[in-house]
Order: sequence, then C-alpha cells, then structure tokens
Amino acid sequence: MFFKKKKTAAIEQKNEEKNMVPSEAVKLDLLKQATAKIDDAEIVQRQTNNGATFSLVYIQTLIDKERLNEAIIQPLLQSEDQAFIQCISTCSVLRIHSMEEAKECMLFGAVLIHDQGNNEWWAAKLENPLSRAIENSETETIVYGPKDSFTERIEQNVFMIRRRLPVIELKVEKFQVGSNTKTQVQMLYMDGIANPDIVEIARKNISKVNFDMILESSNLSAFMDDHTHSLFPQFMQTDRPDSCAYSLGLGKIVILLNDTPFALIAPITFFHLFQSPEDYVHRWVIASFLRTLRYLSFFIAITLIPLYVALNTFHYQMIPLQILYVLMESRTKLPFTPFWEALIMLVIIEIIKEASLRMPTKTSQTIGIIGGIVIGQAAVEAGFASKVLIVLVGISAIASFLVPNYLVTKATTVLQFLFLILASFLGILGIALGLILLLAHLNGLSSLKQPFFAPVSPLYWRDWNDLFVRAPLPWAKLRPEYLKTVKKWRVSKEEGNE
Amino acid sequence: MSSRFHLFDRTAVMGSGYILAMVNRMQMLYYVLILPKHLVHPYMMAGILGVGFLSQINLSILSKYLTSNYFVLGYHGFVQLFSEKMVRFFAFLGIFFILMKVIVTTLGYVEIVHQFMFPSMKTNWLIFVLIASGFYIASQGMEKTIRLSIIGFLATIWVILVYIPYFMPPIAKTHHLYPLVPGEGLLHSWYGLLMVWSALSGPEYLVCLGPWIGPKEKILRGMSIGNALSVFEYLVLFAACILYYGSPYLEKISFPVVNMIRYLQSPVFERVDIILISLNMIYFLYFIALFLLCLYGAIRIAAGRININTNRKGFLVCVIAVFIGMLVINGWYWREGQELNVWMTLQLWLGAITYLLVPSVLAIAMKWKRGQSR
Amino acid sequence: MKTILYTLCFLLVFSGCSSPFVEDNTVEEIAPVTFWSLNQGKGGKLEITTLVPPVTNEKKQVLTLNVDLLKQGKKEFNLKFYRELKLGQLRMLIINEKLAKKEIISLIDTILSDPDVSPRLFLVLVRGSFEDFLENEGKVQKNLDYYLYRMFRHYERRNQGEMSIVNLHEFMEKVYSPYSDPVLPIFKADKDNFTYEGTALFNENKYVGSINKREDQMFQLIANDHYLKNLPIPHLKVSLGQVRSKVHMQVDDHFKTLNIHVLIKGRIDEYRGHRNILSRSEMNKMTDDIQSYLQRETVGLVKETQRLKIEPLEVGAHTYSPLTHPVTRKVWLDHYEKMKVHVKYSVKIEPLSL
Repeated sequence: MFFKKKKTAAIEQKNEEKNMVPSEAVKLDLLKQATAKIDDAEIVQRQTNNGATFSLVYIQTLIDKERLNEAIIQPLLQSEDQAFIQCISTCSVLRIHSMEEAKECMLFGAVLIHDQGNNEWWAAKLENPLSRAIENSETETIVYGPKDSFTERIEQNVFMIRRRLPVIELKVEKFQVGSNTKTQVQMLYMDGIANPDIVEIARKNISKVNFDMILESSNLSAFMDDHTHSLFPQFMQTDRPDSCAYSLGLGKIVILLNDTPFALIAPITFFHLFQSPEDYVHRWVIASFLRTLRYLSFFIAITLIPLYVALNTFHYQMIPLQILYVLMESRTKLPFTPFWEALIMLVIIEIIKEASLRMPTKTSQTIGIIGGIVIGQAAVEAGFASKVLIVLVGISAIASFLVPNYLVTKATTVLQFLFLILASFLGILGIALGLILLLAHLNGLSSLKQPFFAPVSPLYWRDWNDLFVRAPLPWAKLRPEYLKTVKKWRVSKEEGNE
Repeated sequence: MSSRFHLFDRTAVMGSGYILAMVNRMQMLYYVLILPKHLVHPYMMAGILGVGFLSQINLSILSKYLTSNYFVLGYHGFVQLFSEKMVRFFAFLGIFFILMKVIVTTLGYVEIVHQFMFPSMKTNWLIFVLIASGFYIASQGMEKTIRLSIIGFLATIWVILVYIPYFMPPIAKTHHLYPLVPGEGLLHSWYGLLMVWSALSGPEYLVCLGPWIGPKEKILRGMSIGNALSVFEYLVLFAACILYYGSPYLEKISFPVVNMIRYLQSPVFERVDIILISLNMIYFLYFIALFLLCLYGAIRIAAGRININTNRKGFLVCVIAVFIGMLVINGWYWREGQELNVWMTLQLWLGAITYLLVPSVLAIAMKWKRGQSR
Repeated sequence: MKTILYTLCFLLVFSGCSSPFVEDNTVEEIAPVTFWSLNQGKGGKLEITTLVPPVTNEKKQVLTLNVDLLKQGKKEFNLKFYRELKLGQLRMLIINEKLAKKEIISLIDTILSDPDVSPRLFLVLVRGSFEDFLENEGKVQKNLDYYLYRMFRHYERRNQGEMSIVNLHEFMEKVYSPYSDPVLPIFKADKDNFTYEGTALFNENKYVGSINKREDQMFQLIANDHYLKNLPIPHLKVSLGQVRSKVHMQVDDHFKTLNIHVLIKGRIDEYRGHRNILSRSEMNKMTDDIQSYLQRETVGLVKETQRLKIEPLEVGAHTYSPLTHPVTRKVWLDHYEKMKVHVKYSVKIEPLSL
C-alpha cells in the first residue's frame, strides 16, 4: 500500500528534494551500513534451486515471520525460473530503485529482496499483523446500538466505516504526516454530498502539517485548528464507526490516523460537542430532554460555584431569607472569604478527579470515596468549608461530566476558574460578562473555516430541529444547512418533493 | 494563528435575520429605559404607534439606498455617490456622531449599573471593563461582530416576557390606563415624541455596513420586522409601566423600566433586576464593539488611509482614545441623578437628527446622481 | 491574542491597585436587618429599634437608638454593633401609630430611594409598644423577626383576606394615584401579644383613622382582597367560610349616588343558632339576615370613608373610562363626601352538608 504513488504535497516536497540530490542506487553494502546497530535487522542470503543467489533484508520485528517463510523463502528456494521474483504470488511485490525507497519500505514492514543475478531490488510487503481485537467503545458507551469501536489499525477502521457505507461515493484520500512518525492519514468524505470547498480546506490543512511526531489524532487536530488558543476542540474525536458513518452521511469529513483508535470529525459546531450517539437511540422527546439537560449542566458546571461566590460576596440581597439563614449559619465561622474557600475546594476536587483518573480502576474507587466523602465531611467539620459549598462543588463536578465530549468537560473546569475570578471582582455582572465573552469567543471560532456556533450564529432555523430539541428522524429530511452540502435531501427525491 | 489583523474582511453576506436583530436591538438600546417617564400619559401609546409608523416610512426611504448598488460597494459606493472629499467630510462628521453615541450609551449603562447594582462602585472601572470587552469583541473583525447580533438578540428578546406579570391583576391596575384620549397639555408631549423618535434611531448606521449586508430583497423586510418588534416592545413596556405605577407616580421614577423589575421575585433569586441588568450588557457590549469598528473605519476614511491595511496598534489607539474621552466626560460633566443631563439631551437631538437626515440625504443624492447621469 | 493577555494582565493589575468597590457585602461580615421599628423618641427625635444579630440562630438582643435621621440610625448602629448593618434584606418597616400621625412619607421616601431595599418591603403600623414585645418575646422566640416576616408573606401571597398586607410599592402607588388612598395594617403590641387590629386609613400620605376588625372584614370583601377565609357573624351565630365576592360599583353621571352591588359566594362553616338550616325556607331567611347584616356593615364603612373624605375603596376608579377625562381629586372628593350610597348584596350560600 505504501508503494503507490503519493499525492501529498509533503511527499512531493520530499521528492523534489530527492530530485535535487541524485538518488543513490540500492546497494547491499549501503543497506548493511544503514542497519548497523539495528539488531533486529536481518540480512539473509540464499540460493534458489537453479543456483541464483538472492538476499533478503528486513527488520524482523516489523514483519510476519511465518509468512516470510511461506510466502517468500519457500517459493524462492524452489523456484526454477530465471526471473524468480515471479514466483512470489501471495503478497504484493514492487520494484524499487533508490536507497531512500528501500529504507522507507523496510521500515514500513517490507522484506527487501535482492536478485543478485539481475542486480534488481524488490520489496515484498509482509507487515506484522499484530493488533488488538475490536472491542467495545469505552469512551462513548451506549446501551443500544453498535458496540464495535476503532482499533489502532487504520485498515480495520476504514473497513468498519466502509461496511456501513457501501457506496462508491465514499472517497478515501491518503496522506502522510510527521517527519519521524510517518503516520498514515486517511481523509474520508462523501463525494457529491460534502462541500468540495470544505474538503479542499481539509486537504490543504493536512498537507500543511509540518512536525516530527504525530502520534494521536489530537496531535493532528492541533495543527489543523483555526484557533490554537481556544479552550474548545474544533474537531470531534470519536472511536465509534457508526458516528463516523453518520457524520459522513451528513456531509462532514472524517480523518483517520494509523495507530490511534480516534477519528477526527469536522467541521463541527459547538452544539455537536453536546450530542451523543445515544440521542438517536432514545425516543425523540426523551432525547431532547437529555440534550437540554446537558446544556443546562454545562451551564451549571461553569456558573454554580461562581454564583455562590458572587451571591456571598456582593448580592446578599438577592438571596431569599430562608436560604440566607442557611448560608450565614454555615459561613459564620469560616476562616476564608467565599472566593478563597471556593478556589481551595475547587482545586481539591480537581486533584481528586485527576488522581482517580490516573489510577487503576480499583484504586480510583477508593480515592473517590476518600476524596468525596471523607475530605468533604472533614473539611466541613474542621471549619474550612461551608456545607453549602461542599454540596455545590459536588453538584457542579458531576454536572461537568454530563457533557459527552471529554475535552469540553476539562474545558469547563478552566472556564469555572475564570468565571470564579470574574465573579469575585464583579459579582453577577462579572458572571454575565464572562458568559457574554464566552459567547463572543464561540461566535468567533471556526472549524475548518466553517462557523463554530453555526445554527445559532449564523442563523439557520432549519437546523434547529437537531439542536436543543432532537426532532424525530423522519422530520430531518434535509442535511444540515451550515455544511452547505451539495446534495441537500436525505430522502430520495420523489419522496422528498412530496 | 495568523499574524494578520483584518478587521474588515468579508467572507459571507448577512441575511435579513441579522438586520432584524440589529435594527431591533439598536432601537432597544438605551432611551427606551427612560422613555416611559417622559411619555407619562396613557394616550401616548398612540404617539408611540404614530412615531413607529413614521420610523417605518423612514426605514423604507433608507432601504432605497441599502438596496442600491452603491451600498454593496461600501466606501467606494459613497465615493461614487459623492466625491471623495465629501465622503471624507461626512466621515469626519460621522466620527463625532458615532463617538457621541458610544459614549452616551456606555455611560448610560454604567449609570444604571451604578444606581441599581453597585452604588459604591467606581464607575471608571466599569467603563474600563466595558471598553476592554468591547475591544475584544471588535478585534475579532466586523463580520464576527455583526454575527454576534443574532446571539445578542436571542439572549435578550425574551426579557420582554418578564413584564407579563405586570399585566396581571394583583399588580396591574386597569384604571391607570384611562383616559386614552389626550386632554390639555398636549403641547408638552412633543418632547416625549421626539424621545421616541430618537430612541428609534440607530438603523441609519446600517449604511456603514454596506459590504456585509444583503441580499437586497430582504433588507427592507428585516428592517420592517425589527422596527415593528421594537414598537411592540415599547408599547408593552410603556403599558406595563402605566399599569404598575400610574401616570402621576411614573413621572417621579428614574429608569422606570428597570426600577419596576425590582418588584418581581423569583423563587431562587429575589432580585431579578440584577440578573436582567447584567444580561442586557450583551447588546450594550455588542454595540460598543460595532460602533468602535465604525469609528475606526470613519477615522481611516477621514484620514484618507482607507487603502492602508488595518493594524492592531491603530485600532487600539482609537479604542484608548474613546476610553479616555469617556473618562473625561464621566468625571467632569456627567451628573448623576439627573437623568437627562447635557450629554443625554445632546445625544437625544443628535440621534433624532441623524435618523431623520441620513436616509433622506442619501435618497436625494441618489436621485440627483441619477438625474445627472441621464 | 497577545492583546487579550495584555488586557487581562492590565485588568488584574488595575484591580489590584484599586478595588472598584468600597463596600463589603460578604455575608458573614454583615448583619442584614430584616426589620426596623420606628417610634417617636425623646425630644422630637426618632427612636429606631431592631433585633441583632439578624438572620442567625445566635442569641439576639434588642438595639435601640435615638436619632435625628433614619440613615443616621444605620450609622450609629454600626458604631455600636460588631457587624455592619445592611438594608438589602429589609423586609418589614414597623411604624408606631404616634409617629405615623406626625410624619410617615419622609420615612418611606428615605427607604424607597435606597437601591438595596426591595419595593416588596411590608409596611405595618403598631399601636402600643412594639419594643416591649421585642424585649419580652425576643428572649423566648429565637427567630422572632423571621417568623413575623413569614407571617406577612403568607398572608400577602394569596391575598386570603385575613389581613390587609401592604408593601412599599402598593403604598406609594396609592399615595400618588389621585383616586385611591393607601391603607396599612395596624397591629396592637404589648409585652406578650402582637395582634391584628384592623386597617389604618390614609388621606394621601396622612394617617387619618382606622377601621376595626369587624369593619375590616367588609373592607377586605369589597375593596382589598375580595375574599375572606372566614366571616363570623356572632349575633346570627353563624360563620361563613371561603367567602368570595364580586363587587360592582356604579356612580351616576352627576356624581350624586353610588350603587354598590356585591355578589357573595360562600358556605356555612359553623352554625350554632336554632334555625333548621337544612330546610330551604329557613335557609332563605338566614340568607336574608346575612344580606342585611352585610349591607348595614358596608354602608357603615362607606359612610366612614365619606366622613374622612378619603378613598381607600377606590370608588373613583370606577368612574374612569377610556374616553372621558377624570375630574381632579379635590372635585371628586367633594362630590364623594355628599354622595348617597346604596348597597345591595346577593348572597349565595352553598347548602350545608354534613
């Protein structure tokens, strides 16, 4: 697969470089030199039945050793022919010319075959097929619906998507990124649905990536983002092939990377970060309710604690008398001002959250219990924090997890701190200011140059049927307007025009 | 991250939704908050309707220009219509008008915050926060700033629903609404009507946004709906004020529209006014940003630097100048307590004049140009 | 982006150097007073009393001060008490009757112009010494102020006709409204009790008189709440429950006569007389008796307001119409004073069921 013509600009650039320095012919000596101190490289010399000598150069950890025997060595040894390369039939073999090519092929898991008689070099692809089995998605679990998730092997991932979209319009374009990692990237889109301009932007963005290590899809997205400093991801990451297929069908672009189970989906909007595949499993009323709940909990997660600080510091007159009793009761003996109290408790809860994430599952449960119950209880009893705050911190911590996108969950934490500072300066006015600036920021973002806050601003009323309310699927006869798809109707024309 | 700083880029054209949002929010900007106090009598509801109708006519005159080809060209359209010297002169005049509008609206909002939320606050500080936030929004560029209008609209249009309880019996006293016919003293109400007209002003600044607004067919529709919506909101607010206070009491209340919200209690927060005042900041900020951009554009035109690229430093200097101007006015001339001080009255007249003149001058210029070219 | 960072830094430095606020509202450091009791002090001064610390379960004490100005009182309190007194949670203003006779509007204006104070503040007149009540009862009841507030709010929320509860806005709106005069609830306070006494009547902003508990019921029925949870009529030995009223007032074009037609719906709560009210004819007689009783009482109430030349019943408001211009308050009151009053009651009593 790697021996095909490469399209990307990066490779072209490399070719240009190659053209400038005249390429060296492949020589066994040079290869020996190159593989010096690579102990897992092996160079083997054998003779065929009719006496022709051939040598094999490969890196043993990268290739499938059993198949090497079966598919190359055995046929070659028994070959009677002069052009003994012909007898390798169970794997693809390509002629190579330059040293560069030879090294690259070798490092991607090919066996180099030197036909010494004809002084020809060939590469046979025999990649080591080691990979894990297809498992359940752990980041996005749903009750009903397909359970498979991507693995680290890109072929398998493409296969899972292709199986769901057996149409000729599904196009796959290949790229290579990362000067050291040489990560294989595949961009998938539906020809005739996805807007060609957006595809072109994505293509350009991928080609422009200039970095040595691209190990993960987030690494790639960092180079493709329109707004590097934003807290919000401008690409959606998922390991669910069904989400990818669905997005492709809507006219979005899916970018797969080799060696990572997470695909990138773009262009997305802010509101996509709040959608879960499960929304399309539930009855629509329930799905809409759950979705609204997510927006609400995002709002709670960023404003609840700041609100506590604002009310306690500035706006005591806003609190109903009954609640004021509770607040004054719990706050009278505290040593800290509301701001510092909230800040300390929030930092502690973040420490607990982070600790339980990094620990093995069983330990993390213990940490959760110790952190949540013991520290909380003890803090109240010791008089470091008020009961009310502990309750609120708990609520806001849980609320932040309702957002399906993990990156947003973490973003809420930082936002919460920013809001906290604003609230401690300007009270409710500060929180409002924060919200307004947040809206302005979101309004200014873009994903693949498409507006990030899309169906709201710019306003596309029609897309609101899948925004806060998830309207019944039969109503969603049209693809989202903001994607500016080529084909607008999701239903077949005759029915759609009815 | 691009190192370019392009304030006046254009990638898309904004439809009638934006025009609606902008016209409506511009008309709800500040004067509406003190309007009921100056209208006082129930029969002025007819006055609001009448002025609203005039405003509609004015908008249709304005739309003549907005749908012409001059408008789409933006600056170059103006140059075609007038000479470059004239445009620079108008831009120079515009600087003054825009500056006044920014300063008075911002200070007006600051005063509301100061009066209802933080009586002990140093207002200069709040001005700084507002200007800084406005600068942040504006520095995203004209297109994104215009796009924010829809968010500002959606985030605040529902506030009118908060006034529904004022139409319900225990609070509303129907007899306050009578009589609906004017009696003697009608002459005094011209000032109230002028205020309605001035409050409805603002859409004339759409002429600055030429390249971003379109398509032509929908401009008038957007403006009309926006205008109708504002007139409706004026009526609702005014009627709510009358029902709640009654005419004699209403006269004595400063910021009646804001003040009456203090009466409402939600189960969680007993002072809804604080939340609503904070929330309304969104369109004040939005307009500060928009007018800062307009001001920067006007300065560039007046200085004849239209062809030189925008840069961050220039814009920042412009914003800082506005900030200093505001501090000066706030410190020296702004008298708290009296609602309509010199500046407010000045802006009242300026708003009324620009709203009256801009559409008609443009219409006349176009007619003249057409006559000339024949 | 850089600019934003700069701006943020600037903002932080700026705020560090000079905080935008002078006042500190941190809840644990303030004492949000829930009520103020105003009385006539010595030498023409004001006597202000409140319970501190408010809104906590700590042991409370009564603080009293003699001052010239209301706001001066707040200042003096602060000098005396370890937490700063704040008015943002002021819920009740309890004014002594004697003080009210002298001046009330200036006090209320002061309170009203404070942006911290909610216009939902309850105004109450007190006969007797509320301070004694506080002194005595405050020792027994821990959260006396809170319970008082809850009581007022309870009766305000549904207008259930037990008391006339008036808040600051309602009072002021009526002061300024030409055809209506404000009322306030009046309570009697002594060492052990705090009891509802009736409604205080005002002429614009002057306290002119009061109506007692019995008349007050009529007032609730025809003007204030249009509902009475319980209407006992002792001399008929009957008590009506859940009484709902609908009032039609009509003034003729020459302002000579006033017709009041009241529709009443209710049910018999209690009957301890000798009539057999299960029979229809007896019941009718009973209804007639009730009607005539109500009529008599109502006429008495209206006459009282005519005598005082005040408008708590808002009769004048019924003369308003969209197209005619109202006469001035003075002219109207002159007419009102001499008006003939006809009151007619239609009582519908739901049959008694056991």
